[in-house]
This record gives sequence, C-alpha cells and structure tokens, in this order.
Amino acid sequence: MAKIIVVTSGKGGVGKTTSTAAIGAGLAMRGKKTVVIDFDVGLRNLDMIMGCERRVVFDFINVIQGDAKIKQALITDRRLENLSILPTSQTRDKDALTKEGVEKVLNELREQFDYIICDSPAGIERGAHLAMYYADEAVVVTNPEVSSVRDSDRVLGLLSAKTNRAEKGEGEVKSHLLLTRYDPARVARGEMMKVDDILEILSIPLLGIIPESTAVLKASNVGTPVTFDTKSNAGKAYEDAVSRLIGEQLEMKIQPERQGLFQRLLRRTA
Amino acid sequence: MQSVNPKPGTQVSVATTPLQVRGRSFTAVVLRMAGPPDAGFFEALDTLMRQAPHFFVNAPLVLDVEHAADLGEKAEFVKLVHQLRARKLFAVGIQGATPEQGNAAFGAGLITLQGGREASLERGAARAAPAELKAVTSVEPAATLLITEPVRSGQRIFADRGDLIVMAPVSSGAELIAHGNIHIYGPLRGRALAGVNGDRTARIFCQNLEAELIAIAGLYRTSDDLGPALRQTRIQAFLKDDTLCVEPLK
Repeated sequence: MAKIIVVTSGKGGVGKTTSTAAIGAGLAMRGKKTVVIDFDVGLRNLDMIMGCERRVVFDFINVIQGDAKIKQALITDRRLENLSILPTSQTRDKDALTKEGVEKVLNELREQFDYIICDSPAGIERGAHLAMYYADEAVVVTNPEVSSVRDSDRVLGLLSAKTNRAEKGEGEVKSHLLLTRYDPARVARGEMMKVDDILEILSIPLLGIIPESTAVLKASNVGTPVTFDTKSNAGKAYEDAVSRLIGEQLEMKIQPERQGLFQRLLRRTA
Repeated sequence: MQSVNPKPGTQVSVATTPLQVRGRSFTAVVLRMAGPPDAGFFEALDTLMRQAPHFFVNAPLVLDVEHAADLGEKAEFVKLVHQLRARKLFAVGIQGATPEQGNAAFGAGLITLQGGREASLERGAARAAPAELKAVTSVEPAATLLITEPVRSGQRIFADRGDLIVMAPVSSGAELIAHGNIHIYGPLRGRALAGVNGDRTARIFCQNLEAELIAIAGLYRTSDDLGPALRQTRIQAFLKDDTLCVEPLK
C-alpha cells in the first residue's frame, strides 16, 4: 500500500511543483516506486518541470471521467523507471475534480506504487482541498517570509480538520515543513525570517531547508528535477529532505552555495 | 379496542363503549423545594409568580420533596395544597419522596410520581417569563472547553457555554471566542474575545501576548493600542469602569 503525500502551501510561487518533482525523483532514485500527480487543473506545470510535456496524451481528468484508463494516462520517466507522472488537464478547471473520482484514482494507484505525491495548486479552494483530502502525510512548502508562513499556518489548520483522516478520526495527517528559497545572507541581514522563528510559529517538524539557488531555475527550464543535479546545493538539500521523509535521521544543515574557481579567487583576494 | 374481524353474529359498536383508555403525556411543572414550606418558600414563590404570571396557568404542578425531608405529616401536605390552591396552583403529585412522605401525601390527594425527564419549556412560556428562563440557564453548569492542539490561522474556537483554555500556540489570523474567561498557555498571536454575551466580569489570561486583538464584552484593543511594553509578556486583561485594562501578571 502506497503512502499518499501532499505537497502544499496555500501561497503560490513558493516552490510546490519544484519540490514535488524533486521529492518524487529523490524517492525514485532510492528505488521507491513513485508517482507524482498534478492537481493544478487548468495550470498544468508539473509535466514541464519533469520534462515530459510532449508525451502527454490522456490526463488525470480523463481518468476521473472514465474517458481513459490510468495506464494510458501515466507517463513513465525516461531517466528513472520507478518514477511516473500523472499530468493534469490544461483546458479544464478545478470543478472537474470530484471527491469520488480522486478517491478511485488514488485507490488504484495505491496498489501499484510505494509513494503517491500530490502536487497541490495554490489557494485553499477545491483543487487544494482535494489534493490534501486523502493524504497520509503533508509537506508544507514555506518561504522565509511572513505571508508565506501565515498561509502555511492556515493550510495546517485545514490539514488537521478538513481531510479524510481528520473527518474519520483516523489520526492526523503527519505534516513536515520544507523551507525553500532560503538565503542565509539575507536572513543574516534581517531581510528574511529565521528558521527558529518560523518553527516556533508553525510548530511542526522540519523536513529540510532548500537554499535559494540558481540550479533550481536552471533545472526547471530544462525539465529536470533538481535532485538529478547532485552537485548543486539545492539538489543535495532535496536529497537530505527525501532521506528524512523516509525516516532517516540526518543532521540539519544549510547547504552552502557551491562557488566557482573564479568566485573563490575573488573572495580570497577581497 | 375494537376487534378487527368481528365474527358473524357478534355485535361490536363503538358508540356503546362506556370508556376508552389512552396513554398521553403532558408536561408538568416541577417545583423543587429546598426546605419546608415556610414563609420564605411562599415569598420566593410569590416573587416568581409576579415575574411570570402566566407561567403556571393551568399547569399540573408536581412537588419535588427530595430536599424537604421534614415534610412528613398528612396535615402539612393538606395545608400546603390549600396554600397553593389559594394561589391558583394545582398540585397533582410529589416526586423524590420517601415511602412515609408518599403515604402522607396520598392522604392529601397527591400521588407519588417517579422518573420523568426534563422537558424544554414551551416558547410561549419562555416569552411570558424571560426572567424565569434566564434563571434556568444560569443554573446550567458552565462547560469549559480545553484545546491542546495549536490553533491555526483561519480557525475559530468558540466556547459557547463557559471558559476556554488553550494549551498551545494561537496563530495570527486565528480567533478564540468564549462566553466566559479565556486562558492561553502559549503565545497568543491571533484574537481573543471573552465574555461575548456581555459578561463584564470575564477575563483573558495569557502567557505571551502578541495578540492582534483582545476584547471583553465587546470592548476591544488592537495590537496597535496595546503598545510595545506588554508585548511578549504574561498578562491578564479585565474590564474596569468601561475600560479594557491589560496588566502584567506577576
């Protein structure tokens, strides 16, 4: 039976889709059979980040409406055979998602995979609600700034009240905090919130700190999950986060930006 | 009862049946006696009847004598029934009685009732007797609501019958509302509104004040008015002469 993990945040643009792709790829690299599902109906992005947008024929909504079988809609990653993508529709909207339809698809996927990662849309409306509804665990993606932290807090409230687990009394959805776009220099200057302050407000365990990195944007532009870029600090940070997600104990450290020879020389002379 | 299939030859006529037995339930007013029916008892009763003149009209009255153990003689019951009747109150029975009390009351024409369950008072009666009803609600035990999980942004916790105790952080954008007092054993970053149904004696206690707003019985202060001196300190808030006072807790 697969574990269903929702990647959510409330606020947009904090790195949900990037994190979904990176975590999905990280799990698959460790030999876990993983599927990533795009719940952002109408704003299809996950397939681009994963680099398979040209292979989409059928989508999540087709499967929900019975127009296609899951097998037809699932796309297997070319780099990792353990990794599959269930893309969403770009032409429909969130109303095409139904609770029964989502449940049916998830139950079918549960039989075939070890991990199901649901990429939630921003907001707290239908799409986001259904993305989190059947989750066993949640990765709450947060940027070190006040509005993102507040929205994450709101989402944590919904996770503890408006999910299948909460409604059936089957225990809470285990939530993890993933801090993204963390810039130690700006935190030191007081322009960004400190890790401890964020943890105090959200009071959930920290899964990882992903530093602000040029590697992330580069990776999305070429359609590779940043985890494949094992040399980048962001890739390493996602790898650590994945280790913690599957239960390994790892020391929390902020990966330093890898500097080129030229930068290192400059620093030395400065 | 009529037989369903009358046999040929037998005459069944409803019209000639001299009586029919039916079970039917009525609501009775129970008067709980705190002691013997002395002058104090009748004074309280008269006050009650003045406040709610229509409340007892045509209502069968049951006397609860559980706490009036002294009442044991038949003559006492007869006297009590007469004194009630003089007030146009018609006692039909007693409850919570000992066997001796039951016998004595029977002599005075009162039956012994057992069980019975609380019925909500009718709307008509409620409108006629607002004072009476208020007294009833205040007798109801206040229920304290205890919250041990963090109260997140956008969540609203409402303690509609008493105090609210929160043993976790209250995030900004969260709302605590209580008819009674509010205690927060964690940082309060959201809003807390105590005494919302007008209880001016309600207070707010908090371990770490970072609130957006606190209010008691509708009087409020926002974080702007609270000033920086009290920020992140232990405080209590209460009403004094229409002013919402916030003081540090020593």
